[in-house]
Amino acid sequence: MTDLPLAPPDPGHAFLDLGERLRLRGQLEAALSVALAGAGRYPSLAAAHDLVGRIRADQGDDDGARSAWIAALECDQGAVGALKGLAFLAFRRQDLAEAERRLEAAALEAPRDTTILAALDRVRASQPAFREEPIQFDDPDAGILLFDAEGLRLAGGVGGAAADAADIAAAAGLGLVREADRTVRLLDLGECRHILVEGSRARLVAAPVAPHGGVLLHRPVTAPAGRVVAMAERAVAAARRWLEEAR
Amino acid sequence: MRVLEPWLAEPLRELVRESGARVALLMTASGQVLAQHGFTRSLDVMAAAALGSGILATTGELARLVGNEAGFGAVVHQGRQQGVWLAGFDTPRGRWVGLIVFGRGSTTGLVRLFFERFAARIQALAPAPTVVREVLAEGFERELDASLRQLFGTS
Amino acid sequence: MTPARWQALLEEVTLIGGVRGAAVVSAEDGLVVHEAAMDGVATADVAALATALVRRAQSLLQVLGDEVPRMVTLAATRGTLVAVQGKLDLWLVALAEPGAELGRLRLLLGDLAPELG
Repeated sequence: MTDLPLAPPDPGHAFLDLGERLRLRGQLEAALSVALAGAGRYPSLAAAHDLVGRIRADQGDDDGARSAWIAALECDQGAVGALKGLAFLAFRRQDLAEAERRLEAAALEAPRDTTILAALDRVRASQPAFREEPIQFDDPDAGILLFDAEGLRLAGGVGGAAADAADIAAAAGLGLVREADRTVRLLDLGECRHILVEGSRARLVAAPVAPHGGVLLHRPVTAPAGRVVAMAERAVAAARRWLEEAR
Repeated sequence: MRVLEPWLAEPLRELVRESGARVALLMTASGQVLAQHGFTRSLDVMAAAALGSGILATTGELARLVGNEAGFGAVVHQGRQQGVWLAGFDTPRGRWVGLIVFGRGSTTGLVRLFFERFAARIQALAPAPTVVREVLAEGFERELDASLRQLFGTS
Repeated sequence: MTPARWQALLEEVTLIGGVRGAAVVSAEDGLVVHEAAMDGVATADVAALATALVRRAQSLLQVLGDEVPRMVTLAATRGTLVAVQGKLDLWLVALAEPGAELGRLRLLLGDLAPELG
């Protein structure tokens, strides 16, 4: 009996295996050539772009790697390899907030991948006190949204979702804040500080920014609840300053 | 929204807004309409008022039959897309009845909460009862027509 | 689940320091199914308002591709409302004072809510 190689699941994707073997052997130019040809032939295959990303990262081309991994995520939002790769790039340039976000998203997709959890712990340990994480209203991928008293989006986004999803989230966020205001008023609970909403995949915190509207923070469910709440409270303070400057 | 007396407008507006009511009707226990929101035809108002007051009168009898002399507080009919809330409450002007139709955007609990607040406001705001004029039969239809015209803004 | 079991479940929640009361609520109609010791607050009002809040939270979560919320926490200056999803559209709702052991409350509600229904 001869040992027959296992057939790849899809013969057309054999380039993935070949490209990875060449990459591991250090033959990066050849690996890139194979990977680019494959990605060109299968542009909607996240794994192809992920392979390109890994090769470019090995070549030291961080911009090229980032572009490839972003392309992978456009094909598959939950592409773990791409999320890990982007986290790695972010960590390398000391953007610990992005590194943490990407790893949290990866942990959501692969909850049993201990390498992701270990990387997450390392990133969190590397951060200065999380109170110093910058609040970025102008980065649509930061997962922080600012909306006005009519539910119109002022700045920010919901972390990777389309712009119209962010607009809808702004309107829904205002509805939630108003409902919370009514609840605390009728139950005599004082003033609303925030509303924490936890689903199977996400943690959201909505907080009023009186009298202007509110902020909405969107994180994967793997982000610690207390951390997300603390960041939302800081976002409220930052929002007030942002609105003052915008006037 | 149309009201027979201006002071009813704000409480009814708040009730409709907070409870998410699609249709609201306020009437006396005998079916005289005092205010309405959401109806488009006078015939529907008259029918709803008659049916609503009739239902409460019937359930009142049922309550007495089962030994609940105080009657039932409210009657709720819940359909798949809409629900109807019907409840009576005492005012300085006598027993009044509220009928609320609500959709899936609201709940029985919310309607109950804001109806009770509405009833309390009505009780607090209702002006003292005026001297009751004896309404003769031939004047009754004229009065009813006048009320309906006012409720539909055609007076 | 029997009323006796609901009662035991709710009493367990109210034993946590700072918890004013707890109730089992039907999300379909915003009505109380069972309640325990809502100190100074109309339980029916809590049920109606908590349900409305959960519905708003659900709308927001669905925009972002998630489904029904598992837990909704409303924090205010004079208290906190926590609602946790159970089965059969029943929710476990607790009202707590400022300074209550919120972490412990959340964990307990999360453990008990699946027993509803």
